[in-house]
Amino acid sequence: MLLLMLSYLGIGIFVVVILGKIIKYFTMPLHVRWELYPLPHEKGREYGGSYFEELNWWEKPIKKSMLGQVKFMVPEILFVKSLYHDNRKLWYVSFPFHFGIYLVIGCLGLIFIGAIVSVAGLSPQNAISVFLQSLAVIFGAVGFMLGTIGAIGLLLRRTFDKDLRAFAAPIDYFNLVFILAIFLSGLIAWFSYDSALTVSRDYMKGLITFSPVVVGNSSLVGHIILLSLFLIYLPFTHMTHFIGKYFTWHEVRWDDRINTRGSAIEAKVNKLLNVKQNWSAPHMKPGKTWAETATEEVE
Amino acid sequence: MKAGKIRLKDIGKPSEQMVQLNPADFMRLPYPYDKADSDPDFKQLTEDQKKKYEATLDGVLAISIPKPETKVEEEELVRKFLSGLEKLLTKENNWTFLQPLTLSLEYCAKCQTCNEACPIYVGSGKQEIYRPTYRSEVLRAIVNKYIKKGGKTFAKFSGNDIDLNWTTVARLAELAYRCTLCRRCAQTCPIGVDNGLITHELRKLFSQELGIAPAEIHTLGSMKHLKSGSSTGLIPVALKDTIEFLEDDIKDRTGLDIKFPMDKEGADILLIHNAGEFLSWPENPMAFAIIFEAAGLNWTLSSDLLGYDAVNYGLWYDDVQFARVAVRHAQIAKKLGVKKIVIGECGHAHKAISVIADRIINGEINIPRESSYTLLEDIVCNGKLNLDPKKNDFPVTLHDPCNVTRLMGVVEPQRRVIRKICPQFREMEPHGVKNYCCGGGSGFAIMPSMNFPDWRTRISGRMKFKQILDAFQDVIDPGIKKMVCAPCSNCKGAIREILSHYDAWEKCGIAYTGLVEFIVNAMVDIKEPYIEWPEM
Ligand code: SF4
Ligand code: SF4
Repeated sequence: MLLLMLSYLGIGIFVVVILGKIIKYFTMPLHVRWELYPLPHEKGREYGGSYFEELNWWEKPIKKSMLGQVKFMVPEILFVKSLYHDNRKLWYVSFPFHFGIYLVIGCLGLIFIGAIVSVAGLSPQNAISVFLQSLAVIFGAVGFMLGTIGAIGLLLRRTFDKDLRAFAAPIDYFNLVFILAIFLSGLIAWFSYDSALTVSRDYMKGLITFSPVVVGNSSLVGHIILLSLFLIYLPFTHMTHFIGKYFTWHEVRWDDRINTRGSAIEAKVNKLLNVKQNWSAPHMKPGKTWAETATEEVE
Repeated sequence: MKAGKIRLKDIGKPSEQMVQLNPADFMRLPYPYDKADSDPDFKQLTEDQKKKYEATLDGVLAISIPKPETKVEEEELVRKFLSGLEKLLTKENNWTFLQPLTLSLEYCAKCQTCNEACPIYVGSGKQEIYRPTYRSEVLRAIVNKYIKKGGKTFAKFSGNDIDLNWTTVARLAELAYRCTLCRRCAQTCPIGVDNGLITHELRKLFSQELGIAPAEIHTLGSMKHLKSGSSTGLIPVALKDTIEFLEDDIKDRTGLDIKFPMDKEGADILLIHNAGEFLSWPENPMAFAIIFEAAGLNWTLSSDLLGYDAVNYGLWYDDVQFARVAVRHAQIAKKLGVKKIVIGECGHAHKAISVIADRIINGEINIPRESSYTLLEDIVCNGKLNLDPKKNDFPVTLHDPCNVTRLMGVVEPQRRVIRKICPQFREMEPHGVKNYCCGGGSGFAIMPSMNFPDWRTRISGRMKFKQILDAFQDVIDPGIKKMVCAPCSNCKGAIREILSHYDAWEKCGIAYTGLVEFIVNAMVDIKEPYIEWPEM
């Protein structure tokens, strides 16, 4: 029961804090434009061009391509394409690490679906259950292996690459060792005890139905404890860059929305120009609004 | 302290100088500058200058902060720095950049991918303190340790173990002026962290809270711009004389009788140049006038205060100064009743008024703004002039101003013009959105104080010089005249300086000019060559 409680706590804190972060970023004020080209949604301008290349651009419809964005994002998310191009040495370890994480998440997702299907009454021998379970095993086994290799690789790189070491703090090693421990314990538990992941599925069922489950193996218990603790810890670290990246790319790098008359952006700008700033250098007038500050005569 | 041994916390440790710059360490240049002695010694500050100003970072002075005389003064500066940092993180005081800044502070994975992209870090021979991540990590550590609640408790464990004292603050201020804000680093960051932005914010903190900024950018820059109409000192009456002089010069050089339309109400186009062109490169505004008149455009210049100087130095360091200038520009266009503002060959003015100011100039003053490159492309490529490319039959390469290409997405128009009228055009590598800064970005080109120009030509402009030499390696013989096209006033200034520092005209036959000069040079009806080469 204690184990279940810990898992609930982990999931609960993870969801609440991550949601909090997402809300925090979404509700931040509109910023001035600061995009960085190429923008993948600019149709036909893969070389990095923009609508500013059109004569009288404001009179023409702007051609956007969602497909361009998808074509860009899928390889980026799955294969960390930008790192492949700009830092190959690190990619060799970062890619297995991240892909390992995705596979393990995929495995958990499959176990979760399997558990729901089972709670709904489908027998474990049913073709669907068997398929889900086998896929979960593949995802899990490969994921744990890749993740372990990636985490060890990242640790070695941080330790032996002098550029990386110069900026590494104890916390960076701690984080990597923590994740490595999760991968390793998962791998051991799978290999030595739960190779068909049936205990894991039962544990998931327990989570869904709020009923205690006996996990009779220390490596799996250890794995569950570590994973739950990690879920509590993760949202407070920079490792939440999986949400950070959404904002840095979509809301900053790629934000080329125009301030047209009567638009929602114009309304937001009007509001912001009327908040009071408080800077105190000699050329500032603290206590005045941005609009007043921008339009007053300078002395 | 030796390069490579420097750690983050050294920024707060008193020492005579953190880094000794030595030309032997700098990135090597191509032929004919590949010999060790091609790089004469780096200018050192005098003992007197070192005594007077805070120069313990790298022995270079960009902002020249006087050393405080008492402990109290030192503490006051640190206190103000912290209060500014807090303001930087609030909606009221920094809505303009709060979201990008917060994200960049929170998410760096310390992977160092961005470093290799930085022309300053690489050009300097990889000096630790010039890493894009160095100043960002220092600032991040200060925020985490001194601003966030409980930050001091685990400072060592989380890598935020840094001392905040006068030395840290003063070195950070100088360090904020060792980056051209080219944002090449941000382009390679897999997470989207923007070290250029962090530099920008740091500069802003110093300016808006402590009143610390290079004099050429603030007092003699944006302040002078707002008060007297132009940071060059060109006041409206003087502009009229200058224009008359340009009209005479056009007549002498081309035989054409052209009057610059001035303050013409209801014109289609308000053309705004970087006023530096009128003084340093008058052939540029002249060429614009020749082309616009020949193409039959309905255009005007403005003689209103600020209306003839498109620069906006606030872009580099101060949001308030930025907004003040941007709003004035827009008001002038509104007053004249023009249909659009066209920005001349000034990169940062492009970015300032087209992109950044888009969320500042609102309502009725929100007049469309357009790049002159786009308009020139229309003129050249749609047959509005009678042009003969053979008149430009010499090797040409094109520099992409960061503000126009990487930061605004205007990449092809200038190339289509050049390809059409310069048969021997060749690209630099890399180019377009991946270009390297001229080395004069973010105000560097206009900062002549102390030994800063030496740093600029030797370090921040080094990569550009290498690119130019590489582009012309097959024709590097000084007997073959060749031209760098740099369609931006600041870039032109920076490139002029690099070429002259290395005697590139004498040794390699390399000169520079803007974009419109090539167009006029190719005009069939103008008999004499418009492009003037330096004296041999
Ligand atoms: S800024 Fe980006 S590229 Fe540079 S170290 Fe941080 S995460 Fe890596
Ligand atoms: S913005 Fe440019 S100069 Fe500044 S750190 Fe990044 S790459 Fe270097």
